Amino acid sequence: MRFAMLQNQPLTGGIVAKNLRISDNGNGELSLYGDFTITLKVLDLTTNGAPNLNSLMTFTQQVISNKLRGGGYKSGVSIHKYNENQKAFNKNKIWSYSIRYNFNFMVNVIQINMLSQLKGNDFVLAVVDTIGHQFTDQYGQIQGSAGLTQGAGWPAAVSYNSWLRNKYFGAHEFFHTLDLNDIEDGNKKNRLMYHLSDNSGHVISDAEKGDMMQYIVGNINDMAKKEYSNINLNTVSRVRIFLNKSIYAIKYNKAKFR
Amino acid sequence: MVLNITKLSLGSLLMPMIISCNNQSEHNANAVIVNKKLKDTCKYQAYDAHQIISNLSCKSCHLSPDIEIEDDRGWPTFRGLANMDSLKLVDYVFTKKHQDSYSKNGAFKTNIMDTLNDCQIKSVIRYIKDSGRDIAVPTQ
Repeated sequence: MRFAMLQNQPLTGGIVAKNLRISDNGNGELSLYGDFTITLKVLDLTTNGAPNLNSLMTFTQQVISNKLRGGGYKSGVSIHKYNENQKAFNKNKIWSYSIRYNFNFMVNVIQINMLSQLKGNDFVLAVVDTIGHQFTDQYGQIQGSAGLTQGAGWPAAVSYNSWLRNKYFGAHEFFHTLDLNDIEDGNKKNRLMYHLSDNSGHVISDAEKGDMMQYIVGNINDMAKKEYSNINLNTVSRVRIFLNKSIYAIKYNKAKFR
Repeated sequence: MVLNITKLSLGSLLMPMIISCNNQSEHNANAVIVNKKLKDTCKYQAYDAHQIISNLSCKSCHLSPDIEIEDDRGWPTFRGLANMDSLKLVDYVFTKKHQDSYSKNGAFKTNIMDTLNDCQIKSVIRYIKDSGRDIAVPTQ
């Protein structure tokens, strides 16, 4: 990252933060302001090509932008105590704050065609032929997988045909990368993260927005000092491990995986 | 006659035994139902467990995207926590490390760690142990 700055090149990565400003009202509430660029790289690994990929990516970009717009609010966040005068966090003191996230987001969803276009701190969604992995939901039903990830910061995969059938799958998988969880509670069927087939809506709750903001500013200590790109997620190595796990039985065009 | 009396006596002895056996099995069946009901009250929901983790701000200190087990302060990352044995994890999270911080006068006093019930604690531990495992969206 330092090298990139020396070269005067723009920072890259899944999360790039600029102009982060923190205001402490002295009464336990921090207001955070900043400009964030969120980038999701879509790696097409389908055998027969994905002719509608561009429109799916555009739709996904719009959904992610809409859901992140307006930032969020979260109370009871325990972080290092902020010193307003020094404009820095005191690493020796932990403090509980309510935080208002007043962020501007620019969201990019861009297609890449080879692994060399992927960096360690990128977010990636691999588009594959099929995913053989099965799981049991809380009602005891065995389900096949249309999309798969291992959670916060991890690569995700989606089968192209499933994504065509439900265009929200791309955003759903990406929100796992931003640390949201699946919902199987029958009272929350209208939520985007409700992942069973009787889903009836695409709502992201205020609590979920707050959780995503908290994930995005996970390294707030570093963000407050300078322009910031998220820490190394070892993405290239992780995507290799993830796509080739035998229990996931992910089928894709290995010739494109280079 | 003697044989009939013997048969009757044996019969009268056997009847309570059979009834008692029936009662026993009924009792056992009830016990199973009660146990099942007790178990069913603690259902694991990843979403709810995540809300507890989120409200406790665990990931503010134990960063989730780190690939290392410990950060440069020597604190376990979320991955480091997931790698701990469950019993050690309960001890680490709820006894040794946070006891003072989450008490009524501690730095995290607005958080709820001291008021978590057994089911919530079990859910938190399972959520931590499950992190980094597969999360799937079903085919539709």
